[in-house]
Amino acid sequence: MIQISRYLSAISSGLAILAALATGAVLLLTVGLNPARVYYELFSRGMATHLGITETLIKMAPILMVSSGLILAFRAGLWNIGIEGQFLIGAILVGWAAPTLIRVLPHGVALLILGLVGFLGGLLWAVIPAVLKARWGLNEIITTLMMNFVGLNLTTWLVKGPLRDQTVVPPQTPVIPLQGRLPFVPFTRIHIGLVAGIICILAIYIIIKKTTFGFQLRVLGENRKAAIHSNINVSRVTILVLLISGGFAGLAGANDVLGVKGLFQAEWNPGYGFASIPLVCLANFNGLAVIPLSYFFSFLIVGGELMSRAAGVPIFFVQVIEGLMFLYFAGGEYFRKRKAGIHGASILL
Amino acid sequence: MGLLSFFDEAFFVVLFGTSLRASTPLLLAALGETYTERSGILNLGIEGIMLSGAFGGFVVALFTESILCGFITGVLIGLVLALITGFLTITLRVNQIVVGLGITIFGSGMTSFLFRILFGTRFPTLPVMATKMRIPLVADIPYFGEAIFNQHLVVYLALALIPTLHILLYWTNFGLKIRAVGENPVSADAAGVNVARVRHICLLLGGMLAGLGGAFLAIGDLSFFVSNMTLGRGFIAIAIVMLGKWNPYWVLLGAILFGVTQSLSSGLQVLGVDVRPEFILMLPYVAVIIALVFIARNTFLPSALGVPYRRGEG
Repeated sequence: MIQISRYLSAISSGLAILAALATGAVLLLTVGLNPARVYYELFSRGMATHLGITETLIKMAPILMVSSGLILAFRAGLWNIGIEGQFLIGAILVGWAAPTLIRVLPHGVALLILGLVGFLGGLLWAVIPAVLKARWGLNEIITTLMMNFVGLNLTTWLVKGPLRDQTVVPPQTPVIPLQGRLPFVPFTRIHIGLVAGIICILAIYIIIKKTTFGFQLRVLGENRKAAIHSNINVSRVTILVLLISGGFAGLAGANDVLGVKGLFQAEWNPGYGFASIPLVCLANFNGLAVIPLSYFFSFLIVGGELMSRAAGVPIFFVQVIEGLMFLYFAGGEYFRKRKAGIHGASILL
Repeated sequence: MGLLSFFDEAFFVVLFGTSLRASTPLLLAALGETYTERSGILNLGIEGIMLSGAFGGFVVALFTESILCGFITGVLIGLVLALITGFLTITLRVNQIVVGLGITIFGSGMTSFLFRILFGTRFPTLPVMATKMRIPLVADIPYFGEAIFNQHLVVYLALALIPTLHILLYWTNFGLKIRAVGENPVSADAAGVNVARVRHICLLLGGMLAGLGGAFLAIGDLSFFVSNMTLGRGFIAIAIVMLGKWNPYWVLLGAILFGVTQSLSSGLQVLGVDVRPEFILMLPYVAVIIALVFIARNTFLPSALGVPYRRGEG
């Protein structure tokens, strides 16, 4: 991986955010809205109210989990674009299994097993792309992308058919009773998913930095030929990385079903995948940098919702900011590379 | 209705004609992306470009009451977004996936935002309809005639582009340059080809066609705009390009496969066949994966796809 000083990369992420906010202000002025009022509402409601802070921290959990898997895959040079599908499969399996398991097992045990179910669901959805990549070198970008759409349709069918709760009108799985959901972190209204998310990020950080497996995947990511020549089992690393990466997306699905929604609904897709991919790049594939960035991201989503209600500005505005942030950051990458003396011909980055 | 009515001419014309019209946005975007990828650029932003084209085309068509102005706007918006993508990925050589997803997120957010600002919670529909052009004689051929030769001008344009782009790609000097740049930019550069310029041109063509495709979706096929109305067509277009092995004729087959499953999922319901639509909608994606296993592993990917080029770094 290209070594760029942390300092430089933090500055350029910050500049990208500022530039995006500035462009957003111009946009607001153009359509006749007051940017000062919009940003005041966004920041004060998102960062300085109890509701805003709580909701932001809750929203961080799935983003952290998805990002953990993405960092692992990207470090190995594998582009897992199939997060959405892996997330949905994990979520629906948990939505299906949770009501029964929570009823028959002790609460803690049930939750642990359900976390595992979600992880396995996501992992399962990565099996085909992983094997095809390792066995025949089929481009994982395209297979994981396809598996998203298969997963989306499959889960819609499942929730409208076999797994549907027949007692209610909307197509959904049975509701998990409130006392059966994820417990809160003491003294807060934030469920323990956030803690799990941070553990995921730290675990990935340690795996990549400290273990043999981490070393092997980094070599693979930097130079495939070198990996082959140094007797690394490339197929094995490829499969493992993609499976684990899918597993984390499934775990995020479990988190949202058990902690936030309490059920799996048709037409429900929070779309963490496509937002988290640029986010992880923005963090320069560094797990620790993902934590503040995912906070900012969740803040944008939550603050945007609150601001939208208060100031009457369509919520989509924060999505514009999000997109601009990525584009400005991508532009900044050029200068960071030049400063670092790298003229990146490395694949895709 | 029995199963026999599946073979009714009327049903066939509706099914095939609708499929062709519904696949046109996809076909246009995929043809453009074929050139883009052939030159070595993976443009994940076409979903956002299509949406922006759909929005811009719809708004202009609504206010000017001219379908043509709408199409031109769609093309221009595609051009601008492709210019930005090209500046970032070709001139500055930054990560194509980040830029592509950035354009898609931006396009999706921007169009939804502006639509809400302009129309609030109203959903206006176009006062004017895209007129169909019936080509005499050939339209009288049973089954296919009415389905193919009674369509909007843009559908004919998309169909005409297929042989045109094929000839341009395989039989001309410029086509050779495109393939060389995507395959081996170092050699192409050594042979005097301006790598960046060829890539810019291909990306711009791709952007314009995606923008036109989006505009056709909103004002040709349908006559309204809703948030995220492209429903992943940009990504499907990328899949079709891969399925079609970067060859315009095969790309057409891929686009039709998607179009047919789309209209079949509602068509079978009309006929009373009890199949869940999700199952049919799932098939083309499964088909892409299976086809890749059987076909693509024996063929090639443009070798330089996704790799920025800078002189002296072969």
